[in-house]
Amino acid sequence: MTRKVCVVGGATTPFDYGPTGFETIEGGAAECVKETQRDIPDFSLRDLDLMIYSHFSVHFGHQLAPEWIIHDHLGLVGLPHYRVENGGNTGGSALYAAALAVMSGHHDVVGIIGWETMDSVSQSQGSEFIAMASDTRYELMVGGIYPIYYAAMANKWMKDNKVTEEDVATIAVKNKNNAMDNPKAQWYRNEHRYITVDDVLNSKLISYPIKKYDCCLMSRGVAFVLVCCEEYAKKVNPDGYVTIDGMGLSSCTIRAGDRLNNPTWAERYGPGYPEMTEFGACRCSAEQAYKMAGIENPLKEIDFGEIHDAFSTSEAQIYKALGLANTDNIAQFIRDEQTHLHGSIPMNPGGGLIGYGHPVGATGLMSTIECFYQLSGLIPKKHLSRKTEVPDAMCGIVNSHAGTGTSISNFILRRH
Amino acid sequence: MMEQVVLMKNKNNKKKFAYEPKFTERKDYRPEGVKETGLVFVGHEISEDRTVMNQFLHYDQLYTIRHGWNSKFFIGLLEGKIMGTRCPKCGDTWVPVRTHCWNLNCKLERTEWVEMPLTAKVHTWTVAGWSGRSSLKRLPIVLVYAIIGDSKVAIANELHGINPWDVEFGMPLKVVFKPKEQRVGAVTDFHFEPADGWKPSPMTEEKERIKKLVEPVYEWVKTLK
Repeated sequence: MTRKVCVVGGATTPFDYGPTGFETIEGGAAECVKETQRDIPDFSLRDLDLMIYSHFSVHFGHQLAPEWIIHDHLGLVGLPHYRVENGGNTGGSALYAAALAVMSGHHDVVGIIGWETMDSVSQSQGSEFIAMASDTRYELMVGGIYPIYYAAMANKWMKDNKVTEEDVATIAVKNKNNAMDNPKAQWYRNEHRYITVDDVLNSKLISYPIKKYDCCLMSRGVAFVLVCCEEYAKKVNPDGYVTIDGMGLSSCTIRAGDRLNNPTWAERYGPGYPEMTEFGACRCSAEQAYKMAGIENPLKEIDFGEIHDAFSTSEAQIYKALGLANTDNIAQFIRDEQTHLHGSIPMNPGGGLIGYGHPVGATGLMSTIECFYQLSGLIPKKHLSRKTEVPDAMCGIVNSHAGTGTSISNFILRRH
Repeated sequence: MMEQVVLMKNKNNKKKFAYEPKFTERKDYRPEGVKETGLVFVGHEISEDRTVMNQFLHYDQLYTIRHGWNSKFFIGLLEGKIMGTRCPKCGDTWVPVRTHCWNLNCKLERTEWVEMPLTAKVHTWTVAGWSGRSSLKRLPIVLVYAIIGDSKVAIANELHGINPWDVEFGMPLKVVFKPKEQRVGAVTDFHFEPADGWKPSPMTEEKERIKKLVEPVYEWVKTLK
């Protein structure tokens, strides 16, 4: 890396389906920036030299180029700005873009604002909007929505890896219960209860083997992350900044069914990979991030992660794609609760998409912010207690994920 | 087969790079009374304390999806055929189709059309109990990713004619088309059914589990207007 890239601050609005208190996107953005300024009072909007906007679908906002509304509202007229869109990986891709801007030396202080207002339509309509990111010609009218595509992939993956419905339910329980310590999380603000594996197994069928409580939450929410060079980080947050030591971005086919014999993957990882069950783009982008950060044994060297749990099943699939387990031990890895707060690599202590919520354009940034809070010692200030603080966390992974694994990014963040 | 790229001149004597298609066959499947209204505000609500206002904006747009080089697949559906494509260099075959080969060594070779057999097998499957707005009444849906003929890839579609709990990995399927007059040239013109002579295996614990999950879906769908 030519120049170190740092994260010095960030905040989200509460995530919710319904009122958050900051209904307009520009109001929410302003409040996220203000919270960041309360954490690091030396940060001024005047310091920004680039703004990147992270937003998935104008279908939800009935407004083309909505970033122009926010940018103007924040008083940033004159500052360069553009929007990044990359499905569910929009937030991760915006972070990637911001990191590249700083790494190149062309920009020093880059703000990222992400948002989605998915409660502007009904849940079933919203699911169809998102499914328009599947191939509308071949898949939209037959599958209808992403949970169905994911369920088909997960069904085979679970059989192949001897992972059961109960196993993945423990992941859903973990994330929703972690969210009970996070007052901005949608689960905390809405259903607000601790749940058990039985609650997940008995919740209604979405698409076998996925039940309602295995799914992420459709949300309204805004997030802000401040990315910068080390010199600026030392100036505004000398004791709390973290560095992005590794990053990777990779892609896979838009239609999951096209992965069975793909020649490019076969060349890289051998015939039959990633099949329809593995997230090749996650493995590939993780390998890039690990290499850049000098990580050889992720399970030992990474302390925790904020990863893209669109479904409890996909969180399990991601464990494997990140190289934390393999076909032989993934089921045991889950049963041993290795990714719970008391495990060796806690995942989604902030609640994840299943507990915190999934306003698509804001999601990857929310994960980054939670990871940053853990590494900079801000959890006791931001969560309700120290219960969801990962003790002595030095290294975290942020994962952002799109399509049926169609675009995936990974970032290694380290405490300075 | 390569389509010719033709340089034509239009009436203003400007060069054009393709023929203007002459459409001689047209059908309108739009349900009666449905017309394009465009964007329209259809209402609002204001909170009791007058601090919050919601406005209701209605969308109704008509899109034209031009398939171009993919058209043979969709026209094939109208005719009750599954058209695939094959790379003349490496021989890989696909449904859904690719108009250029995916193998980087073939340097985006244009593919040729092949008619596929109407037989397939299940690669993976799921049983949906919830879906998007336009699919709710069809629940529970058995969705399979199936491999048609010697395709290198799997295509998603519904599996009919089976109890949702009886689906199996690798089970043989046949492609079944809707009656000709109901076809619209979209993937929904066909679905899968178990191959003739296929019999479900005896009930297992997993099958009982799926049955238990699916039964409330049947009841719920009955309540939908």
